[in-house]
Amino acid sequence: MLAYALKRSFAAFLILIVVSALTFSLSHLSTDPALTIGGEQASEEDIEAIRKLYGFDRPVYEQYISWAARAMQGDFGTSYHYGQRVSVMIGERIGTTMALGVLAILFALIVSIPLGVLAAMKPNSIIDRIALFIAVLGQALPTFWFALMMMIVLGVWYRLLPISGNATWAHFVMPTIALGYYATPALMRLTRAGMIEVLGSDYIRTARAKGLSPTVVLFKHALRNAIIPVVALAAVWFGFMLGGSIVIETIFNLRGIGWLSYDALLRSDLPVVQAIVLIFASFYVILTLASDLLNAWLDPRISVR
Amino acid sequence: MKLAKFSAVGLAAALAASTALAGPDDNSLVVAWGSTGPIENVDNYFNTNRTGIWFSRMVWDQLIYRDPATFEMKPLLATSWEQTSPTTWRFQLREGVTFHNGEPFDADDVVFTLNWISDPDNGVKVQRNVNWIDRAEKIDQFTVDLHMKAPFPQAFEFLSGPLTIYPNEYYAEVGFEGMHENPVGTGPLMAESIKTAEEYVLVKNPNYTWGSPKGEAQVDKIIVREIADVQTQIAELLAGGIDITADITADHVDQIGGVPGFEALQAGTMRTGYIGFDAAGRGDFEPTTKLEVRQAMAHAINREALVANLIRGDARVIHTPCFPTQFGCDEDAAVKWDYDPEKAKALLAEAGYPDGFDIEFYTFRPADWAEAIMADLAQVGINATLTRMPYFALRDKQRNEGTTPIFLMDWGSYSMNDMSAITSHFFKKGPDDFALDDEVAAWLEEGDTAIEPEVREAAYAKAIEKITGELYWLPMFNHVRNYAMNAELNFIPYQDEIPRFWQYGWGDS
Amino acid sequence: MTDAAQSPGAFAPNQSDSFAPDKRDAVAPEPTFGGRTQQEIVDEVLEPSPLSKLRKRIFKNHSFLIGAAIIILMLAIALLAPVLAPHDPLETNLANRLQNPFWHEAKTMAEHPLGTDKVGRDYLSRLIYGAQVSLLIGFSSMLISGFIGTSLGVAAGYFGGRVDMVVNFIINTRLAMPVFLVGMAAVVAFGASLQVVILVLGLFLWDRFAVVMRSITMQARDLDYVKAARAMGCSTPYIIVREIFPNVIGSLTVVATVEMANAILLEAALSFLGFGVQAPTPSWGLMLNEGREFMFFSPWLLALPGACLFLLVLAINLFGDGLRDVTLERER
Repeated sequence: MLAYALKRSFAAFLILIVVSALTFSLSHLSTDPALTIGGEQASEEDIEAIRKLYGFDRPVYEQYISWAARAMQGDFGTSYHYGQRVSVMIGERIGTTMALGVLAILFALIVSIPLGVLAAMKPNSIIDRIALFIAVLGQALPTFWFALMMMIVLGVWYRLLPISGNATWAHFVMPTIALGYYATPALMRLTRAGMIEVLGSDYIRTARAKGLSPTVVLFKHALRNAIIPVVALAAVWFGFMLGGSIVIETIFNLRGIGWLSYDALLRSDLPVVQAIVLIFASFYVILTLASDLLNAWLDPRISVR
Repeated sequence: MKLAKFSAVGLAAALAASTALAGPDDNSLVVAWGSTGPIENVDNYFNTNRTGIWFSRMVWDQLIYRDPATFEMKPLLATSWEQTSPTTWRFQLREGVTFHNGEPFDADDVVFTLNWISDPDNGVKVQRNVNWIDRAEKIDQFTVDLHMKAPFPQAFEFLSGPLTIYPNEYYAEVGFEGMHENPVGTGPLMAESIKTAEEYVLVKNPNYTWGSPKGEAQVDKIIVREIADVQTQIAELLAGGIDITADITADHVDQIGGVPGFEALQAGTMRTGYIGFDAAGRGDFEPTTKLEVRQAMAHAINREALVANLIRGDARVIHTPCFPTQFGCDEDAAVKWDYDPEKAKALLAEAGYPDGFDIEFYTFRPADWAEAIMADLAQVGINATLTRMPYFALRDKQRNEGTTPIFLMDWGSYSMNDMSAITSHFFKKGPDDFALDDEVAAWLEEGDTAIEPEVREAAYAKAIEKITGELYWLPMFNHVRNYAMNAELNFIPYQDEIPRFWQYGWGDS
Repeated sequence: MTDAAQSPGAFAPNQSDSFAPDKRDAVAPEPTFGGRTQQEIVDEVLEPSPLSKLRKRIFKNHSFLIGAAIIILMLAIALLAPVLAPHDPLETNLANRLQNPFWHEAKTMAEHPLGTDKVGRDYLSRLIYGAQVSLLIGFSSMLISGFIGTSLGVAAGYFGGRVDMVVNFIINTRLAMPVFLVGMAAVVAFGASLQVVILVLGLFLWDRFAVVMRSITMQARDLDYVKAARAMGCSTPYIIVREIFPNVIGSLTVVATVEMANAILLEAALSFLGFGVQAPTPSWGLMLNEGREFMFFSPWLLALPGACLFLLVLAINLFGDGLRDVTLERER
C-alpha cells in the first residue's frame, strides 16, 4: 500500500512538472515579457536591461528550471503588471474562488441527491422524467448563456439578487447556481443509478423484511451506501469547477483567481498565468490522488502487493 | 423567441423599479469603471493606466490648472508664475492649503516632489513626463524655482497634467507602496479605502474651501467599482447598483437613454483614431510599402459613413495625425483623402494589383469598426482578414515583430493638448514607428524643442503634410466617450476624456 | 465556463463495477484517469443506462431519430447555405444596421426576416452560415482529437506494458490541465483564428477517445481471430487496421459525438470571452459574443445564435445516446 501511494504520488508530481513546463514554454515562446514590463515608454536599452535582469536572454528551459525551483518554495515571482508578489495576489483572491467552488459543488449535491433519490424511488414517475429532462437540457446549455439569463431576470428585472461583486453572501447566489448546475446532471444520474442498485440488493430486502421503517431503510441503509461514489465524483468535479470559474467570475465580477487569470492573459502577465495554471492542476491532481488512494485503501485486493 | 417576450416584460419591470435608487438618498455616487482594466498602483507616478489619470485629479492637485473648456492655464497650487530664464520658471505658491493628513503645503513639498520624480533612480513609470526636469529649488517658504534641462515648450502641459504634488514628509516615509494603500494629497476627495482591482472609496475633503478652480466635491462619498464587463455594468446601472458608467457603446446610449430614470449621452474626446500602414516594410509585406496602394486604401475607406453610423455623437472625420485642438495640429497642412472607390481601383491597378491582394488587419477595438473598414476594402478587391488582439498583446506584436501591415488603433495623448503627445510619439523612429522617415522625425524634433511657437508650428506643419501626404497614417476620427447614468445626476462631460467625478452632484444643487 | 470537455456526463449505472477486479485477473491496481477507473469512463460513454432507456420513452423512443433528423437538417442547411441564405453573410450595410426582426417590424420580413446585426449584415444569412462554422469546428477538431486519442488508446491497449504506462501518464497529464485556461493561453500565443481554435480544441479533447479505445483494444486483442491473425504472422499495423479497427468503429462513433458536442460548446465559450474565431466569421459563438452587447434591449441577437447552438448540441447528444444503444445491441 505504501509503495503504491509513493508510486502514485511520484506520478502526480511528474504530471505537475509536465503541465507547468508546457504552459511555461507556451507562454514564453509567444510574447516578450521584457516589453510588457518595460511599458510604453521603455527605450531599447531599458528593454535590454530588463531582459538581463529577469534572465529572459537565457534559454527557455533554463528559465523554467529556475522558475520551478522557486515555485516549489511557494515563490511564483512578481506580477509584470501589478509589481506585486504573485503569491500574495493569489492569496488575496483564492478565497473567493474556493468559496465559489465549494458553494457550487454543495449546490450541485443539494439539488442532485434529492432529485436522484426521488427518481430512484419511483423510476419512470413524473419526477423521474422531470429530473431526466433537466439533465438532458442542462448538458446542452452553455454556462455563460445561463448565467446571463439569470442576471437579466433575477438581477435586473426583479432585482432579487445583487449582480456583481462579492460583498455579501447574496452576491454568491447567482454565480453558485450558474457554476453548480453544470455538475448536477452527472451527480444526479449517479445518485439515481446507485440508489436503484442498492434498493434492489439483498441487503435492503433483508432490512425491509425485518420490518424496519421505509424511511430508516432509505436513509440509514440505502442512501448511505449509494452516496459514497457521488461524494467521490463531487471531489473530482470540484477540481473542474475551479478551472470553470473563469467565465463565471468574469460575468459576475467576482475577483477570484479565475478572473485574475483572465485579466492576466489579457495583459500578458505571464507569472500570474503560470502560477494559476499550476494551482488549478495541483488541485486536480491532489483530489484525484486522494480519491485513488482512498479507493486503494478501501479495496483490499489492491493492497495484496 | 422566448427571450423577445421576456425583454418586453423585463423592460417594463425595469421602468417600474427604476425609482428606488440609493445614490441621491445618502448623497453618495457609485461609479463603475473597468474597460481600461484595473490600475496597478494608484500612485500617480507608478501607473500607466487611464484610471490613474482621473484618480489623480480627485486626490491630488497640480501647480497649475488647465481649464478643460477653454484650455486656459489658471492658478491651482501655484498662484502666479514667471519665466526667469529660458530654462527656469519661478512659481509663487498658495498659502493655507493642507494635505489630507494635516501636513501643511509649502515649497518643501513642491521641491521634494519635483526632485524625487525627476530622479531616474526612483523609477517613475512614465519617464517622458518627468525627464525634462533638471531640478527644483526652494527660494522661500512659498516660492520655488523649476530648472529645466533645456527649453521645454510643453512644460505647462505636464505641470497642469500628470505632475501632481505630494506631501514630502509622508511620501518620504511610506513610498509608492504606502501611497497606494493610503493616498494623501490636497485634492477635493480623500481616499478612505483602496482595494486594488476592486473598489476605491473616497470621501469629500472638507478643507477644500480655498477657492480651487476644480471646485468642491458635490457628494459626500464616491465609490468607484472596478467592473470589467460592460454588460455587467449596465445590469448594475439598470438595477440601481451603480450611478454612472463611461464604458458603454454608442448603441447603448440610444437604448439606455430610452429607459425612464436614466440618461445617456455621448461626448467627443481628443482620442484620435487612425489606420496605420507598415510603410517602412518592417513586416516584409510589400503592398503597403507602395504609396499607390496606401492611397488606394485611403480612397476606398468611407470614413464619413463609419462616423455617422458607428461612432456617432460629435465624432468627426479627422485629417490630421493629431487632434485639431492640440498645439501645432494645423488642419490646413494635412493632405485630405476623399472616399472614391473607383479611383482606388485605378490606383491599385497602377500599383500592379489589378485584382487586389490579401492582407491581415489588426485592431484591439470593437470588431464592428474593423469589419466596416474591411468591407470597404473588399469593394476594391482588397481581401482583409481580421486579427483582433488584446491591447497589450497587439502592442507587443507591433514593437517586437512589426508584422502588422495595416492596423486600426488610437491614442489619447495622455489628455495633453499638444501635438508632441501623439505625433512625436509615433514618428520619431521609436518602436511604434512604421514610417521610419528621417525627415519627419527631424521636423518633429524641431517642433518639440523649439521655443518660439511659430517655429514649432512651422516644423509640425511640415511633418503633418508629409505624414498625411505619404499616408503613413490615414487619420480616421476622434473617439466619443459614451456615458449612461441615473437621470438625477448632474453630469458634465469633458473633451479630454477625464471625468471629474467630484463635480457631479444630485438633483438641483 | 464549466469545462465541458471533462463533464462526466452519464455515469455508470452499475457502480460496483468500478471497484471490481479486472477481468484479466490482474492483481496490480488499475490505472486511473482523473481519479476514475477505465471501466467507469467506458461505462459512462458506452453503457446503455436506464436513463437513456427512459429518455427513449420521453422522446417516444425516438431520441436517435430526432437527433439524427436535426443533425441532417443542420448539415443540409450548412451545405446548402449559398442557396438558402438570402444575403452574403459578410455583406455590410452601415446605413441599415440593427434592423428589427419580423415579429417586431413586419416590413423587414421581405428583406431581412431576422433583422440585421451591428454592421448591417443579414442575421438570417449569418445564422445559416453559422451552421457551417459550428459543424466545421466540431467535426474537424473531433477528427484531430479522434486521431490522437485513438492512436494513443489503441497503442496502449495493443502493446500494453511500457507503452501503456506512458500513454496513461499522458492521459493523466492532459486531464490535469485546466483546459479552458490553457486553451485561452494557446489562442493568445498563436493568434485567434478558425484554424488555431480547431487545432487547440483537437489537441485538448482526446482523453475520452484514448481511454475508451484502450479498453476496447485490450478486449479485442484477445479475440480469437485477432490471435489467429497474429499467429499467421500478420504485421501489427495490419492487425490493428484490419482486425481491431472494425470492432471498435461503433464505440468510436459514440465517443466522437460526445467530443464533437464538447468542442462546439467550448468554442462558443472561447469566442464568448474573445479568445475564439475572428470576426467577421459567422460563428454562433462569436455571434453570441457580439449579440451580448444588446442583451438587454435586442435580446434576439443573443437568443437566436444561442438557440441554434443549444439545438445542435442537444441533437448531437441525442444522436450519440441513441447510437450508443444501437451499437451495443449489435455488438452484444
